[in-house]
Amino acid sequence: MPDGLDGELLERFVHGDQTAFETLFRQFEAEVYRWIVRIVRDRSAADDVLVEAFWRAYRGRARFDASRSFGAWMRRIATNAALDHLRAARPRAGWRTADDTLPAAPHTDQAVNDSIALAFRSLPPRLQIVATLALVDEQPYAEIADALDLPIGTIKSRVFRATRLLRKELARLGITP
Amino acid sequence: MTNDDRLNRILRAALPSAEGVMPSRDLWPAILRRGEVRRRFTLTDLSIAAVVVIVLLIFPEWFWLLAYQL
Repeated sequence: MPDGLDGELLERFVHGDQTAFETLFRQFEAEVYRWIVRIVRDRSAADDVLVEAFWRAYRGRARFDASRSFGAWMRRIATNAALDHLRAARPRAGWRTADDTLPAAPHTDQAVNDSIALAFRSLPPRLQIVATLALVDEQPYAEIADALDLPIGTIKSRVFRATRLLRKELARLGITP
Repeated sequence: MTNDDRLNRILRAALPSAEGVMPSRDLWPAILRRGEVRRRFTLTDLSIAAVVVIVLLIFPEWFWLLAYQL
């Protein structure tokens, strides 16, 4: 099995066994949560997105191929749930700054950081998601492409567009990287 | 350092790392509750079903019209 998981466990999950689902949840919860936090950058929102992602996984369990990686499948579902959250949160995103429950980066000017976070959140969600994964978390393009179920070329193009928009927005805010 | 490197550096400073973060509480009960909520019939579902049953009791010949629509 790609994740080192018991094939029988995955089969039981596909057939709706709740105990198998809980076992998978306990095993992948932390990894999927970190992935979601990387995208939404808000821990309380990440709790809700995690619940939504695992619920979607359970609801769509019949579509899971037990010979494939559960982790990769789960990450794709979590990415879509996080993207839906970004789209829903977008109208009020302009009023939000970086999540202060996450450890603060040392020796930084808070006002400048808030402006940068604001500029980042003004990106369209489909660009914001690739920018956060590629530029901030330095995830490999192949991994981002897999999570978003898109070709690598599309990811590169979105990173390019996100960078261009970010520079423009930062320049408007008087920040020149 | 290139312009891209500088941009990445300021982004990483403004958007803190997600390394080592964990959910604030056990979220398994929330997932179970989510399933229960979705499975239950809503008041709207029950109201529509009640209206259909009452209409069919008053006009039984409409059953075939309904069956045709389904």
